[in-house]
Amino acid sequence: MQQFANPTRFLQLANRALPTIWAVTVILFAIGLYGALVSAPPDYQQGETVRIMFVHVPAAWLAMLVYTVMALSSAVAIIFRHPLADVAAKTAAPIGAVFCFLALATGSLWGKPMWGAWWVWDARLTSMFVLFLLYVGYIAIWQAIEEPTRAAMIARIVALVGFVNIPVIKFSVDWWNTLHQPASVLRMDGSTIDWSIRWPLLVLGVAYTFLFLALHLTSMRSEITARKLRNLQIARSGEA
Amino acid sequence: MDWNADHAGFVIAAYALSLAFVAGLVIYVFNRDVRIRKRLTLFEKTKK
Repeated sequence: MQQFANPTRFLQLANRALPTIWAVTVILFAIGLYGALVSAPPDYQQGETVRIMFVHVPAAWLAMLVYTVMALSSAVAIIFRHPLADVAAKTAAPIGAVFCFLALATGSLWGKPMWGAWWVWDARLTSMFVLFLLYVGYIAIWQAIEEPTRAAMIARIVALVGFVNIPVIKFSVDWWNTLHQPASVLRMDGSTIDWSIRWPLLVLGVAYTFLFLALHLTSMRSEITARKLRNLQIARSGEA
Repeated sequence: MDWNADHAGFVIAAYALSLAFVAGLVIYVFNRDVRIRKRLTLFEKTKK
């Protein structure tokens, strides 16, 4: 594991893996969107509106997964001082924020025809909105604090403290009475969704995960290059 | 997909929004990567 701590070694691995990851992402999206828009039948109650689920649910899954990656990376940065851990957390945040925004926006577009309201302050929606604010706050810390070591330390704390919100999002539909439906895919007693609708959802879930992986590795490569450039510029200004 | 069904506009809007934001994110990440790598190459060239 220690060999991957070397940024040069990481860059070599990322450069080699990225074309394959992008190819798998495109194939999975093609299959998933075919399943979502062509193969899956309309719901007997919701009709065609159920198809919003295929973009809403994977975006929500990824919003939570990306924040978990940020929290884990921040813990690794604090405990092991792994040189890539802060880079991983920092570069994951904007990607997670976009997924979180998409989960909120597509949920709103699903809520209006089904509930008759664009937004309700129930536990699931509110905790998801809090996650979005955590993403924005985390990004703001890196932007606002010029000294990188100080920014990293504060960002790590925010990521770890904010992680408390992830189980709250997951179990909010069980702990409180919500308008949002309870879990129907990831359940202890098995999924309640028919296979004809479940398979496109799972394929798109994996497609979104691969998309995150591709974007994250590319962003990490950019961040490592930017840090290298900054160090070289500082070294040059020292020589002059 | 029945494009004339009730509320089909909400479905189209959800997919269009997702496509727009995902495409925007991909373009942003790629542009930044290309820009930074170009700057590094230029810096290393001027160093020599």
